[in-house]
Amino acid sequence: MTDPYLPAWSEPFVGERRSRLERLVPIAGMDREGAFGGSTGAGVTVAIVDSGVERDHPAIGGKLVRSVRVEPGEDEPVVVEDPDAVDVVGHGTACAGIIHGLAPDAEIVSVRVLGPDNRGKGTIFAAGLEWAIAQGASVINLSLSSKSEALFGVFHEIVDQAYFANVLLVSAANNVPGPSYPSLFASVVSVAAHDVADPWTWYYNPSPPVEFGAYGVDVEVAWKDGGRIIATGNSFAAPHIAGLAALIRAKHPGATPFEVKTILATVANGARPGG
Amino acid sequence: MADDPARPLGSEAIRLLQSIALRGEVARRLESESARAVLHSIVEATVALFEAEAASIALYDAASDQLVFEVAAGEQGQGVIGVAIRPDQGIAGYVYTTGQALALSDVATDPRFGRSVAERTAYVPRSIVAVPLVDDHGTIGVLEVLDKRSQAAFSLRDIELAGVFARQAAVAIRASRVERDLGSLLGATLRDLADSTGPISDAAIDELVDAGTARLGRDDDSRLWELVEQVARIRGSSPDRLELVADLLGAIARQADRDSRARRRARPGPTARATDR
Repeated sequence: MTDPYLPAWSEPFVGERRSRLERLVPIAGMDREGAFGGSTGAGVTVAIVDSGVERDHPAIGGKLVRSVRVEPGEDEPVVVEDPDAVDVVGHGTACAGIIHGLAPDAEIVSVRVLGPDNRGKGTIFAAGLEWAIAQGASVINLSLSSKSEALFGVFHEIVDQAYFANVLLVSAANNVPGPSYPSLFASVVSVAAHDVADPWTWYYNPSPPVEFGAYGVDVEVAWKDGGRIIATGNSFAAPHIAGLAALIRAKHPGATPFEVKTILATVANGARPGG
Repeated sequence: MADDPARPLGSEAIRLLQSIALRGEVARRLESESARAVLHSIVEATVALFEAEAASIALYDAASDQLVFEVAAGEQGQGVIGVAIRPDQGIAGYVYTTGQALALSDVATDPRFGRSVAERTAYVPRSIVAVPLVDDHGTIGVLEVLDKRSQAAFSLRDIELAGVFARQAAVAIRASRVERDLGSLLGATLRDLADSTGPISDAAIDELVDAGTARLGRDDDSRLWELVEQVARIRGSSPDRLELVADLLGAIARQADRDSRARRRARPGPTARATDR
């Protein structure tokens, strides 16, 4: 990151620079078979805080078990049931489809924080995230972020809440200059995109803040109204890591968020045991 | 000045306010043109750099609570100008509300997406990259780039480059907006001052601002350049001087409140409000 105007979080994960991510990891005896071999994500709940998830979309495989939305409320945001399970954009359904593709038995909960009433306000987003943590989701996918400096403290507290409640937060890095929360907090699994067309290829980057690179370029994803579309962005990289994390959590129910992150780093492409 | 409440400030206050409002109006006129020129040059440069068919900028308009496409470059992009959408609708809405950059390709093959756009713009792109217009204060709109000529889709690097362009655009737009809402800024400042210096009614402040802006000459360009210089000088003022101006306005506000109460007592019935806002 030489140019301060270019965040370029994806840069370490693209082209020949990927070879720099080859590293010896200080943990032996863990491979992908041990990490998630045979796991389908059964018993794990993944919450998707986004634009909603279409319940009947074929890419979701009927795994959407609950759908709520956050409304502004009179004094503070309130979470209400969203029985129609609509996706106002298609973006949340895209994320859900990616996660379902990797972890077909994981249950999906949609927390819609976008919609006609709330404009994706940071406080609504924070309330949705807090709700998902309180529900005890194993993994929460956040392919969105807030750029509100005023909410730095709020998100910092929520992210700690998640960590202490054994909830793993997976967040897309924001490819736009300036801070974005909560993707840049240390306990969050922050993800940028790479261009290898394989959902099972991911990289660990030992130079934070963005530690993981996953498939996010020209990804065919589920979209609004039962459709599909080719999309590019860190938004689509994050759910790949969320899906992998769901597999790991299903196979290793006792693993804590930092252990799941460690396993993801240990069996990433380019990582070799013995360092 | 503030130490001598007996001194009649009413007419002076109105004159000063008129002068401030006139300066603001001149700045607004000049800068909305220059801001538009900046927007145009950004979308033109975007089209050239990405070898794209079109590029456009949509800005959030608080008054209508909509995202409005303000400028576009490229022959294919013109149809979008003036289109207004809900700030959570479609690709631009998603990018605006989440601040998350996004690129989509094969857009035209998805009939649902294609139809809704084509109905309004008469152009359905194959691929699209949309990045938020963000500055230090938040997200103000969205920059969209449509259809790269050399490739079927946009790359990650394209998204990042578009993000850099969008950053420049956002800073330019914000700078022009500061002056644009001078009338409301004046009202808000007076309200703030009134809150800290004693009770003054909202109606009195509105009257004061209206009086200051009412006789603003729409076609008066005679003192244009002199005023431009004054605006530039005001903007470069030290915090101390700005504080002095604020103190001055505080005194004016208090005096104007007394004046307007006196006027209301002397002249019952509703007062016609001369305002074009």
